[in-house]
Amino acid sequence: MTVQEYITVSVLNAYISSLLDQDELLQEFWLKGELSGYRFYKQSGHSYFSLKDKDATINCVMFKSRMHTVNFQPEDGMEVLLRGYVSVYARQGKYQVYVEEMIPYGTGSLFLYLEKLKARLAGQGYFDTNRKREIPRIVNRIGVVTSQDGAALQDILRVVRQRQPGARVILAHSSVQGSEAPRELATGVRMLNEQGLAEVIIIARGGGSLEDLMAFNSEEVVQAVYASKIPVISGVGHEVDVTFCDLVADLRAATPTQAAQFAVPDYTAVLKHRDELTLRMNRCIQKLLANRLERLDRCLMKKVWTQPQGVAKRQADRLILCQQRLGAAMLEKTKDDRYRFTLTAQGLENMSPLKVLTRGYAIATMEGTVVRRIDEVSEGDRLNIELIDGRVKVVIQGKEKVERWKG
Amino acid sequence: MEGLNFESAMTRLEEIVEQLESGHLNLESSLAAFEEGVRLSLYCQQELEKTDGQVQRLLRKLNGEYELEDMET
Repeated sequence: MTVQEYITVSVLNAYISSLLDQDELLQEFWLKGELSGYRFYKQSGHSYFSLKDKDATINCVMFKSRMHTVNFQPEDGMEVLLRGYVSVYARQGKYQVYVEEMIPYGTGSLFLYLEKLKARLAGQGYFDTNRKREIPRIVNRIGVVTSQDGAALQDILRVVRQRQPGARVILAHSSVQGSEAPRELATGVRMLNEQGLAEVIIIARGGGSLEDLMAFNSEEVVQAVYASKIPVISGVGHEVDVTFCDLVADLRAATPTQAAQFAVPDYTAVLKHRDELTLRMNRCIQKLLANRLERLDRCLMKKVWTQPQGVAKRQADRLILCQQRLGAAMLEKTKDDRYRFTLTAQGLENMSPLKVLTRGYAIATMEGTVVRRIDEVSEGDRLNIELIDGRVKVVIQGKEKVERWKG
Repeated sequence: MEGLNFESAMTRLEEIVEQLESGHLNLESSLAAFEEGVRLSLYCQQELEKTDGQVQRLLRKLNGEYELEDMET
């Protein structure tokens, strides 16, 4: 017998482990089953148990680091839903479920679980109403997080087309139930935020049982909606109770259809509102202008504009009157001056030396100067005597002072 | 009109109408407000009638970039 090629147990287990680890399906899933052999080790903080159904069983381990997600007291026989992945425990050569999250399944225990989760989330402020954002009155780009195959999407599209045919819908496809749903829904919300085109986000699914809607109660979805910068409308169809997604969303609709109605206003109604505003504005400005025009008209009605010639005539009349008065005044003044001039001229004539000479007076001059006084001449001086028709040259032979009148 | 979106345009238009109707504005301000109002009104109409009506699926590529893929609906 020849020695065969062999491998070690460790290598085998490692190989098997690597096979399992490569399988995407086994990396995360939700598993439903009945709890069996539940043991919680206080010292380590880990839990070990099996999950079984009618025909099968599987080992599970939940480490201390994940135990905080357990909000109820697990007991054997309880139906639970758990999220986890499968891997190999090499030491024992077993494959087992590594549990990340565990919640009770079935209405009674589920309610209890939800109550506790709700209290915790509320305590962390996720549901505070004062942080809700307003939904814009009109949006052209609507982000939708739901399944591309679901009725919810069709409902939403129908409403959008009816109300605002031009609006663009951006779908972030996500499963809406099952183990992948919480992560996918949360990712959808985050992706729309990162991409940034959507003006509002609708997160939706059609109606379903409480179990079906569990994804919308997951902490992961609540956190994503809470962190969204884009306002979120939750439209999860259900009758029983609100989901946490409803509570954290900025606006809650009862159905996907209603969510779309909230997101997209009636196109024709908005158009009408715009038309009405425009009309009101036009009316205002018309009134304003009409008022100004009326005032202008009133001004223009004044005589100065309607009968400008009247005004001109009045001014012309005034001018004429002024001219007449000026003329009269001038005449008056010149008349006076003329009289005075006549008088003066007459006086001048009377004073004329020629006139004096004709009356028999003579003028004595000496060397061109008129002699007026006796003292200006002496005996022997030669004088000229001017007569009216000639000149006599004389020599003074004697002189004698005479008192004519008292001057 | 920078940074304008439909919402702000509509809100501003409403303000303008109220101001005009209050009658507190003088003629120049009224006309200026009216002019702005007409522009906003037109903008709103254009925005409302901006239609492509597309339905697109948002995908993240391996390099982290986003891509919009038209969907048949």
